[in-house]
Order: sequence, then C-alpha cells, then structure tokens
Amino acid sequence: MSLRYFKIFSVFALICMVFLLFGCAKNDGSDASATTAGSAGKTKLVFWSHQEDAIMNAYKALIAKYQSLHPDIEIAYQTFPYDVYNQKLKASFSAKNPPDIAEMFGTWVPEYSKNGALVEIPGGEQLRQEYYEAPLGGYTLNGKLYGLPLEFNIENGGMLIHPQMLKDQGIASPPSTWDELVEDAKKLTVQDANGIKVKGFDFVSSDNITFTFLSLILQQNGKYWGDNDHVNFQTPEAQKAMTALTSLIATDKVADLTTFGGELDTSDYFFQGSSAMTYRGPWTIAAGLNTYKVKDFEYVPVPSFTANPPSYAAESGWGLVASKKGKHQEAAVDFIKFMSSDDNLLEWNQGTFTVPAKKAVAQNPDYVKANPYMKTPLDILELGQWIGPIADRDFFFKTINDHFQLMATGQESVESGLQQIEKTINDSQDQHK
Amino acid sequence: MKHDAAASSSPGIVPGIPNRRGEKGRGRWFIYLSLAPILLLFGVFAFIPIGWSLGLSVFKYNPLSASALFVGADNYIRMLGDSIFIKSLWVTFKFVVIAVAVNILITLMFAVAIQRIRTGWLRNLMRTVFFLPTIAPLAGTAIVWSTMFNYNHGLFNIVLTQFHMAPVQWLSDPHYALYSVILMTLWADIGYNIVLFIAGLDSIPDMYYEAAILDGASRWHSFWHVTLPLLRRTMLFVSVTTVVSYFQAFAQFQTMTKGEPFNETRVLALHIYEQAFSNSNMGYASAMATVFLIIILLVTLLQLKWGRTEWEY
Repeated sequence: MSLRYFKIFSVFALICMVFLLFGCAKNDGSDASATTAGSAGKTKLVFWSHQEDAIMNAYKALIAKYQSLHPDIEIAYQTFPYDVYNQKLKASFSAKNPPDIAEMFGTWVPEYSKNGALVEIPGGEQLRQEYYEAPLGGYTLNGKLYGLPLEFNIENGGMLIHPQMLKDQGIASPPSTWDELVEDAKKLTVQDANGIKVKGFDFVSSDNITFTFLSLILQQNGKYWGDNDHVNFQTPEAQKAMTALTSLIATDKVADLTTFGGELDTSDYFFQGSSAMTYRGPWTIAAGLNTYKVKDFEYVPVPSFTANPPSYAAESGWGLVASKKGKHQEAAVDFIKFMSSDDNLLEWNQGTFTVPAKKAVAQNPDYVKANPYMKTPLDILELGQWIGPIADRDFFFKTINDHFQLMATGQESVESGLQQIEKTINDSQDQHK
Repeated sequence: MKHDAAASSSPGIVPGIPNRRGEKGRGRWFIYLSLAPILLLFGVFAFIPIGWSLGLSVFKYNPLSASALFVGADNYIRMLGDSIFIKSLWVTFKFVVIAVAVNILITLMFAVAIQRIRTGWLRNLMRTVFFLPTIAPLAGTAIVWSTMFNYNHGLFNIVLTQFHMAPVQWLSDPHYALYSVILMTLWADIGYNIVLFIAGLDSIPDMYYEAAILDGASRWHSFWHVTLPLLRRTMLFVSVTTVVSYFQAFAQFQTMTKGEPFNETRVLALHIYEQAFSNSNMGYASAMATVFLIIILLVTLLQLKWGRTEWEY
C-alpha cells in the first residue's frame, strides 16, 4: 500500500512540477511590455510612468514631439496609479519583463542599478556638471549615471503662509530666525475646546517630519551617515534637532498629530485655512492655485535652525531610466537625452510645476517668470545635499515618523527614540546589502 | 477492509459475473481522475508555494538580485527583535479575538431571530439581505466604508455632528482605527455565518424543544441547554473557518489604513506583504509566513480538540 501511495504521490508531484515549469517558463518574444516591432515596422519603445494629470500631459506632449522628429520610433506610453507603481516596477524587473524606459523616483534607482538592471547613461562627467548634486545622487553608482532626473525634489527650505493671518497677529513679515518662527507660530495657533483649530506651524506630514529632522542636523554642521551605509543618530546635533522638533508639539503646541496619516495632505489643511504656516514642498502651490483656487498665500523661506545657511537634505526626484533588458537600449537612452535637453526640461518643469534639476533650466529667466512662486526654492538649490544611500525609502521615513509620534507624545524619550530609529534603520540597511 | 477480504476470496473470473477486482480498479482510477484537477490546483498553487516559501525562509533574497544568500535561522532570530513584527502579531490576535467573538455572537442572534420567522418569504428575504454584503468584493466594500469614515464628509461624522458631538478620526486615530476596520469587516462578513447557523438550527429536531417545554423550560433555558449544545458541530465549523479567515485578513487593512496609524492596524498578513513586495525582503517575509502558518495551524488544532463532539442526533 505504502509503495502504491508513494508512486501516486510521485506522479502527482511530477505533474505539478510540469505545470509549474510550463506556467513560469520564460516567454521570450511575446512579452507584453517588452520592445516589439511597432506598427509599419517601427521600433516600439514601452514607457511607464505614474499617474498624475500634469505629469502625464507633459510626457504626452514631449512624446508626440519626439515621435514627429523620429518617425521610425513609436513610444507606447503606459501609466499606473502611484500607490501601485513602485511594486509594479519591482515585479516587472524581477520577472525580467520591464518596460524599455521607466520613470523612477531617484531614491528607488540604486536598488536597480546595483543589481545591473539599468543602462548606463553615457557622458556622465559632462552631465554631472550640468545638474545640481542632490537630484543626481540616486542616479549615480560608482561614479556612473544610470538615469537622468527630471526634477529637483525639494521638500525643505520653503513654507506656505497666509499673510493675512500673520498681519492679524501683528506680525509684519515672515520669520527670519528659528526663534522667531517658533514665537510667531505660537501667536498664530488658535485653540478651542476640541484642541488646535488653526495650527501655527504645521510640519507633521510623512515627508516633512523626516526632512526637517535631517535638515536641522545639517544646519548645525552635523552629519547623520556613519560607516558602512549606516545612519548615526547618536550625535548631539541629532539629539538637539529631534528635541526641537518634538518641542513644537509637546511644549510649544503649535501643531498636533491629529491629522497625521489622514486622507488629506498638510497643504490641503493649509489651503482650507486650518494652518497659518505649513512646511511643504513647492509642488503644493499648484494644488492651491488650481484645486482650491486661492491666491492669498505666499511661499517664503524657512529660516535656518542656526546662524549657518539653511542647508537641507533632498531626495533625487522623478527621472527616467532605461532597462538593460530592452532590445533597443540606444533608442531608449536617446529618448531620455531628448527629454533632458534644456528646452524640453523647461517645458516639462513648467508644465508639472516642479523645480528643475538642471542648472541651465533653473537659471532660465523664463522659468521663474512663468512660476513666480518658485523664487524661494530656486534661491536655495545649491544648499541641497543628497539625502544619502537609503536602501528602503518608505521604511526609513516611516521609522522616523513612528518614533517621532512616540517621542512627541511622551511615550518614548528622545534619546531612546533615536536609538530605536538608528537600530531599526541600520537593520534595514543591512538587509539590502 | 471488508471489501478487500471479499475481493480476495472471490473465485476468480466467472462468466456472466462482473470482475470485482477490475471494477474496484476502475473505481479507484475514477476517484483519482475526479480528484486530479483539484489536487493539481492545490499542488501548483498551494503545496508547492508553501514548500518554496519554507525554502526561501532560510535565505536572504531580493527578487531584483540574481542570487540568494543562505542565512540559516537568521530570519527567524531577527523576528524576535523586530518590534513591528511583534506589534503586528499582537494586533492580529486582538483583531481575531474581538472580531470572531462579536461575529459569532451577532450571527447567532440574527440566525435565531431569522429562524423564528414563520412567514416563508420574509424569512428568505432576511436571509438574502444579510447575505448580500458577502457577495461584494471586500476591497470595494472597504473603499465605500472609507468614504463613510471620512473625517470631513463621512456619514458617521455627519451623524455625530447632528447630535452635536465632536467628529472622530475613525481611521487615523490610534484609539479607533482597529475598531473601525472590525466594524466594516463584520458588516461585510456576517452573512456567511448567519446562513450556516440557520442551517444548524434547522437541523435540530423539534422533539428536544417539545420535551424541554413539557419539562417547563423557559426560552432562555431551551436556548442555553438545548440549542447551544446541539449547535456545537456547527459552532466548531463556524469558529474554525472564521478564525482562519480573520487571521488572513488583508484587503480591508490594505485599502483602509495600510497598517496605520502607529502600526495599530498592521496585521501580520499586511506586514508580510509589505516586507515581501514593498521592502523586497522575500526571505524574511517567508520566515514570517512560516511562523504565521504554524500559529494558525496550532490555533485550529486547539479549536478542533476543544470543540470535538462524540454524539449524533
């Protein structure tokens, strides 16, 4: 009996394996997203990006322009919701079935470049001179470029303010020092029986807690990277930075945690009048102008934490990479270079309300003329430093945000919280080596 | 065994009488053929992935990388010091205990109430109404409930405001988030158990109730001493399937809270998914999945042991 069962089981296992092998077999030549011959013998390039109206429209316009200049090339443009885009990319590259050209957030790129999944962009030395440091960081590996950034992703240095709210409290101009910022924020905060009704200075967003913390360290001439791609948050600068941040919630009470993790962005609350000053990137200006149709706000510099210039950490933002699995890598790189020409980048940055990563575009008077609100971020682009070799961006930010909430609510001391953050992030860094 | 003995003592091939051994062999092949599709399905999509996952759990493996590093028990040891894993385990147990207890209580009450309805069409209507939410995809239901939990324009806060009460951050306040998801899960899921309990109640012979009435038992006594003990088999099935299903709860958490705030809704299934597909820690995620599998297995075995019945009616 047992021998019979063994035979039956063996046959069953064999059949399962056959099905599995057939199911998972590599499907050369018929990949849905791989380069294929397009209509009328054209070279077809598949290009993926995340979904955002302004960004998609800007891509479509430049794709049409490229195709008219290159009639032999057809670009199949496919978009995906932001929430699933990162995982979609990972799945396609893992399955060796990626698009020819992919829009990637700069912080995601090292995971792909170090695993040999991306094509090197030629002329790296020259290109490095043409771009700011922070946007290039994520696209660089061992001195080589594996993609080109389209934007300078900046969440620091500028804040949204309601000038009328400041005026109503007798504040003549935006704060010029950190102490003034805290004092003004206290005056601007409005409380009622249910808690804070209008926040004086809102920085409690998933991006800005971390970015502000890192920037306060840099503004003390401190560092947060140690050896071996490990973070070091045991420095006096880190302690002072986190103490100052948690004090804004616990002691100064100019903001709270009630809206953190909610459906709306801090900029939405600002444009709805629930905060007087909100620390957020300039990309939020478009929402105010286009969605909320408000104009009674300004985008002004955030003062430095110290007497030093307001240095800050910045991620490498959205950019384009070419897949090494693509059959027409040269054409893919050519499209990326076309997108990165000064004129096309100017058009893209203006259309998407993003800050230019390329110096020539940022310094083009036409850019600031079309986007006067961008003057504040443009003035501090040189002060931006690349955030560093973060292995898992979401995990890094989430770890700091989670412990920040514990520290701000007194459930964890600043010292213990920073130790926990450091340990957790360094474990994650090690896992990705 | 009796059939085997009979077969072995049969006098071989007798003209005009069907060959029992051949009949039995054909019968067995029919069984194998009938079972083959479902076994194949389980084999390819359940047994092999489980085996693969067990193997992966001793490797450090990023799907983007060409190679995997053997790390032995490191992934399992790492779990002991992973505060998020421990927290998600706690959240999972909290969710399962509360949701299963409330589910069984509510569904049993509804089932008893519906079973007492004597009008046939009304009874069927009630059964259908309660079963309807289970037809809708859970992710879609979760999106609808997210809009009802919306702080500014959600139904629940509109109702609270009507009663001059302060609005609540249903999904982003650590005190309410898990209970909000439990509420949605119960609404979406109680239909199955109501139908199962009604079937169980229908199968209890009336003579036991008649005997209880003759003995002067009240309705409560009948329920406590007749209905509940005789529902034990149904109760065991309902509790085992509900516990297993709630341990695996994922869609509503992924759609409504993504584990936030403060990891207060980070159930283990969601944590495993994020480790595997967001953080690319396939090996670690597989190790957690293995531990999770063992936990569910143990809980189920305990339930089967405690709920075992030796009688029939």
